[in-house]
Order: sequence, then C-alpha cells, then structure tokens
Amino acid sequence: MKIVKWFVLFISIALILGACSSNSDSNSDPDSSGEVTEHGESVPEVRIFSSLPEANQVNYEAAKMIETEWEALGVSVDNRPTEFNTLVSIIYGDDHDYDAYTIGWGGRVDRIDPDMFIHSIFHSSNAGPGGNNTTGFMNDEYDVLADAQREEMDPAARQSLVHQAQEILAVEAPLLTLYSRLLVHAYNNERFTNMTIMAGEGMYNEWTPVRAEPLTDDKMLRIGSQFDLDTVNPVGANSTYEWRNMRLIYDKLVRLNPEIEVEPAAAESWDVVDDNTVDVKIRPGMLFHDGVPVTAEDVKFTYDYFIDWEIAYFMSFLEVIESVELMDEDTVRFNLKRPYAPLINVTFAQIPIIPKHIWENIVEEEGLAHPDEYLNEEAIGSGPFKLEQWRRGEELRTSTNRDFYEDIKIDGFIYRIYAQPEAVMTALETGDIDMNAEQFIPAHIQRAEEVSHLNVLEAGDIGYQYLSFNMRKPPFDDFAFRQAIAHTIDYDLILDAHLQGYGLAGGAGLVISPQNEFWFNANVDRPQFDPEKARQILSEAGYTWDDEGKLRFPLQ
Amino acid sequence: MSRLISFIFRRTIQMLFTLVIIATIIFLMFRLMPGDMSASMVDPSISAEARQQIVERYGLDQSLWIQYTTFMKGIVQFDFGNSFYYKQPAIDILLDKLPATLVLMFTAMIFAYGIGIFGGAWMAWNRGSKRETTGVAVALIFRSAPTFWVGIMAIYLFSVVLGWFPSSGMRSAGYIADTNFQVFFSLDFLKHLILPTIVAGVFFLATPLLIMRNTMLEVMGEDFIEFARAKGLPERVILYRHAARNALLPVVTAGALFIGSAIGGQVLIEYVFSWPGLGREMVLAAQRHDYPVAQASFIILAALIMFMNLVADLFYSYLDPRITYN
Repeated sequence: MKIVKWFVLFISIALILGACSSNSDSNSDPDSSGEVTEHGESVPEVRIFSSLPEANQVNYEAAKMIETEWEALGVSVDNRPTEFNTLVSIIYGDDHDYDAYTIGWGGRVDRIDPDMFIHSIFHSSNAGPGGNNTTGFMNDEYDVLADAQREEMDPAARQSLVHQAQEILAVEAPLLTLYSRLLVHAYNNERFTNMTIMAGEGMYNEWTPVRAEPLTDDKMLRIGSQFDLDTVNPVGANSTYEWRNMRLIYDKLVRLNPEIEVEPAAAESWDVVDDNTVDVKIRPGMLFHDGVPVTAEDVKFTYDYFIDWEIAYFMSFLEVIESVELMDEDTVRFNLKRPYAPLINVTFAQIPIIPKHIWENIVEEEGLAHPDEYLNEEAIGSGPFKLEQWRRGEELRTSTNRDFYEDIKIDGFIYRIYAQPEAVMTALETGDIDMNAEQFIPAHIQRAEEVSHLNVLEAGDIGYQYLSFNMRKPPFDDFAFRQAIAHTIDYDLILDAHLQGYGLAGGAGLVISPQNEFWFNANVDRPQFDPEKARQILSEAGYTWDDEGKLRFPLQ
Repeated sequence: MSRLISFIFRRTIQMLFTLVIIATIIFLMFRLMPGDMSASMVDPSISAEARQQIVERYGLDQSLWIQYTTFMKGIVQFDFGNSFYYKQPAIDILLDKLPATLVLMFTAMIFAYGIGIFGGAWMAWNRGSKRETTGVAVALIFRSAPTFWVGIMAIYLFSVVLGWFPSSGMRSAGYIADTNFQVFFSLDFLKHLILPTIVAGVFFLATPLLIMRNTMLEVMGEDFIEFARAKGLPERVILYRHAARNALLPVVTAGALFIGSAIGGQVLIEYVFSWPGLGREMVLAAQRHDYPVAQASFIILAALIMFMNLVADLFYSYLDPRITYN
C-alpha cells in the first residue's frame, strides 16, 4: 500500500515538473514568425500589495499564483505581501500608489442589501482619497445605474437595475473576486437544538440565541469566539464582532429574518408615505432593561444622537436622513433628503435604540469629548438579552430579558474569547463551549464532523476576497488589458487547493454573491481561466511581445 | 548606610535619564512604522471626512513636536492618553490585564527557579552521573522546543485525552466571583493555572538550572569547601549552606531580569492558552497602531527592567557581604 502511495507521489511530481518545463518552452518564442515587429513601450512593472501569510494565507498564495501567471504573460510583477493596516492605508491613501491589491469585504448582514457593493465601491464620486472606490472605476453609464438603484423604492425595478450593474462589472472587470468562504459552524447536539444558520452571518446571528432550545437543565448558551471586544458601548462599537453582541442587547426598529426578509422588531409597522417620508409606529409595552418604557421619543432621540455626534460606523446609513419628527405618542416620521431604498432593510435594521434618560447628559456628566468614550458598564438596552458582566479579553455574560416580546428558551448566553481558532476547536471538543461564533478554518471542518456531540451546519458567505487594480494609470486603465487579466486567474484552483473546496469560486466583477439570491444576476457570462485566451485578447488589441518575451503596449 | 542611599540616588537619576531617551525612541519608532492608525481604528467603509474627524480628535494632525511634548508631559503625570482602539485610558487597559500576566509569570518563575536552584546544585554535586546528563538533556529539550508546540501537546494530552485540566482561559465559562479575592484565588482559577504554569515553567527551567550548575562547579573547587569537608560537616550542609549560597549570585541577576521582562508575558503561552494577559495586548496594540497602549506598555516594561536591575544590585550585598557600593 505504502509503495503505491510513493509511486503516485513520484508520478505526480514528475508530471508537474514536466508540465512546467513544457510551459516555459512554448513561452520562450512568442515572436517566432520570423518578421521584425516594431514594439510599443514596455508595460511597466506591476506592484501587487497582498496579505501576509499569517493574516490571510489564501490571499498570500493567490497573489503568488497571479504573479506566476502574469510573469508568464510577459508582465513584470513586484509582489509585496503587506501587513493589513498598512495595506488599508496604501489603498485608501492620498496618492493611490499601487497597481493591484488583494483584500476582502466581510459579509455583514447590512451588505445583503446591494447598495454597499454596487454603489459605495464603484461609484465615481467615491474614487477620491479615502473613498471606497479604491479601484478608481469611473463609468458614466454605471454611475447612472448605481444612483438609480439607490433611489428606486420598488424592489422588482431595483432588482433589474442591480442586475444591469452586474453585467457592466463582469465586462469591465474592475475587480476580480478570488473566492468566498463557506461559513461552517458546529454546535453541541447534546445540549441544544433548533440552531439557525444564515448566509453571510453564519451561526452567531441574531436568531440563534433567540430561538435555540436547551436539551438539558443548564440553559446557558456558551459561544466561543476568537475576537476580543473593544467596548460594550453601542455608540463606540466599530466592528462586526462588537456588533454581533450589541444587537442582542440593544433592540432595533426591524430585523432581517433568516430568509433575509424584513421583520418588525421595535417598530410594530411602518408606512412609506412618499418616496422621501417614512412613518414608523413603535411597538407598545416595551421596556428597557432598567424598567423604563421604550417610547417614540427614545427612537427620535437615538437617530438624532447618532446623526449629531456623527457616529462614523453608521454614518453612511444615516446621512440621507433630513430630520426625525415625533408625530404622536407612538409614531416617528423620517424625512429624507432624497429617496433611499436601503432605509428600512439597512438603516432601520442597524441602528440600536438607546435610552434617552441615560444618554441625554452623559457627555457633560462624565466630562467626555465624545459619547464613544463612555464606559457604559450597565449597557441598558431593550433587546432580548441583558448584559450581566463583561470581563475584557475573557467573556461577556448576559441573561435573558423576560420582558422581551418574544419567548426565549435559554437563560442567557456567554460569549467566551479565545486567542486562536485551535483553542475554539478544542473547547468545542471538550464541551467547554456549545458553538463557535466565527466559521471554522478548513482544517477544522473534518475534525468537527468526527466528533459525535457536534452537529455541523453550513451557509454561504456574502462577503468575498478579491483582486483589484488601480484604474487611474496604465496598464490597468486599459479595457483590453483588464479583459486579458480576467482570464489569468485560476478560480477553481484557489478554491480546491487553498480552501479545500469549502467556498465558492470567484469571477470578474462578482460582487453580489450567488448566495444573495434576490440580487444576484445569474445570467452573466464571466471570463474563465484561459491564459491562451488572455494572449489572444492582448494580441488583438495590438499588444506585442519583445525578444525577451516582455509585453509591450500597442504602438501609438 | 549613607553610601547605600547615595548609590540608590545616583542610580535613580541615571534611570530617569535613560527613560527619557527610551520614551523618545519609542515615540519616534511608532510614528515611523508604515501605515497610519486611522486604518485600524475605523472600518474601511467609513467616509474620508469621518476618518479625518477622528484623526483631529486624537491630535494626530498636529506637528510631531507638539505631539511629542504632549506625550512627554502626559508621562510625568502617568497619563499615556486614550487608547485609539478601546477609547479608554491606555493605562487602565494595561492595569486591567496586568494581574493575569503577573500571576502566571510568578507561579511559573517559582516553579522554574525553585526546581532550577535545588536541581542545579544537586546536579553539580552529582557531576558526571547518568542522572545529571539526563537532567541537562531534559532541560535543554524543553528550552529548545517551541513553547506553543509544547503547549498544544500538553493541552491535547491533559485536556482533550485525559480531561484533567481545562484547555484554556483563566476561569470556567460563566464563573461568577463573589469578591475580588476570588477572581484570582479560587479552585477554579488554580485548575486553569496549572497547565500554563508547567508549560511556561519547563521552558524557563533551563536558565536557573544551568547557571546554578555551572557556578556550583566553580564554587565547589574553592578552598572553603575543602575546609568544610575537613571540618567533617555533613554533605547536605556543605552543599546547601556553603556552596549553594555562594553560587546563587548569577541566578539572582537572571531572576531579577526575568521578573522585569515577565510583565511582557510570554506571548506564545498566552496565545496558546488564551490567557487574557498583557503580552497579547502589547502585540495587538502594535498591530493595531494603537500608539497610546503600545507606548505605555513598552515604557512600563523598560522602567520595570531597570528597577529590577537595581533591586538585584542591592540584593547582592546581602548575599555577598564583600560587595560594597562606592
């Protein structure tokens, strides 16, 4: 048996080596026609900023693959694995000093709405320094569509606009999605049942703690995470990890259910009066955790407060609001500057309702520069769980809010913080925790499947990791060059070799995940991995290769 | 006695001078790092104006000189500024995590130095025996093996397979302490402490063990040991009262320096055992470009190492009366 294994290994190595050498042979004489060709200018060396292997192994490996493919195409590559914060400051920097980069967008629930991925990252108005259009994609036809989808209140009409936008992205290829992960989680099937898993959110969504059913007398749900919290202040929270806990303590006007449909939460109902006006009726009988009733006034206070203090994390959802008016005892009116389709499913689903009686004077009383400095040890909200204790770096413990308008079966949840994925996996195995908050790394999925007290669930991600370019300068400003490059990424290999199949393959302009069924346009043709096709496209566009096999621009 | 006081006084002045230089280097070092802090503080999807606003609020748009003077003024008042990331005073964040690291490091140190000093003396006494060779080999193996690997193996064996000790953290999930005392002195905490202590301890063990063994060998060749033997003193008394005491000096220096650096924790131990200590916080602060926390931790670290050096010097005269302070 062993000999067979070694034999197979030997043969595969021989084959790979053979394949490599034959490849380089065919590349060495691209101009073997015998005629003397006149060349344009050399295509400049391309700098790719990618990830450090310890931060994102897959992106690091993908960048190396890309480097090899582009070098084979005759493009010199300077591949620079870069620390994350440095990478972000380069691509958001003032001088746009990069040619290509790999990075990703997380699959936050508010990004199920297509506005972020269609408008924010590709609209020409965001192409300046610090703007989200780091690619520098500027296309008038596209801008019209991106603006129109944002203002279109009819979902079917908006869907068609979003679909058209995706067609442009697939052709223009301003961004090549490399892959998206599969969100795989496990829970202890001896202690809990009825766990919910959501696309883009995984198992630690806002429904699992609310719907989970305990099977033993110990009704505390213990969740293991590898991300520390920096605060329990909803005004100061600025990452998804805080937010996943905050939204269980602070209620919001609406919630997105596991089918990604809007459900009433603190809002009993809402009425779109006209394109610029929305009335929201508050659910009666709600209480904050300190026993004070939740009123329409608290809702108005919350929105005014977030807007006045310019809470950066939420500002993009709020800047469209002109004013918030108190109509009667339980109705609040939102006046908008312009029609804004994501108002209900993004803004209303994100902003935590904070109690006016606590926050009104906090800045003066505590002598703070900004309310995000408030320690907020009590964290009084009106959500399904009450904060009991937060030990920084260790755990956050809550108890169930029995006054909440939904029947919750568990007694509360504990969010345990671990230093690394291995520790979370071990805690699942030993039964120290009941579920993992973040998805497994591929290596742990099979291990979890072999443990009898664990049930494994999976869902797709709506976030993605991608390769993008600086379209402000050559060579990526050229349509044909990008078209050719779109054929140089082996999406399937990335998925199979580096994600062990646990994910979805990428593609040109694939910013709306196939998981996001309503908004995803399935009828788009995307370039496949085909290096020969890439050469052909370049050749047809007038590019040539010099004696050394280096790519030259078309003659002017 | 007055000599001692003037010695302490001179050393303190030297320490303050060194600290100012260190603080300046640290200040410049973090600002020379590539990338700016606003990238780590705010979600990349936030608008450029919001980013600018935060930069202004933390005074990062001011000239380097103004930032430097504010920083130095703050240090004098023990104020290291607000953490960019936690938005709370940096010193509070560090003090919050300090006890966890100190408890782990001190128990590991007692473990390592306790075994190291007696074991080292014993090994020198039994020089050339099989037991001695084995002892040196074992100490060196644990010194050379990567701590995270030893940690992972220990967790696998003692937590997953045998189920004797908890795999990570300082306390069981949902543990409620009635008093502050209970936070660190309870059976639950002790159970969590054992595994990381042993793993850290066997890593530290080689230093005191080998230093002790080597100095013992030197001491044992000296005349006063011969005299003690000639007096007919029992072996054990010669070994521990006469030889070991004189061989302790270098071990004390190593130990004092160890305490100084222990505040930084053993990052890998804390990482493997998810120990919520200072070491991980320092690494994260540097990664997040959270200057206030990173600066505060490095300055405290430097100050502590210098202070412990002074303590070691003072301790010398107790152990060896021949040493005087001139």
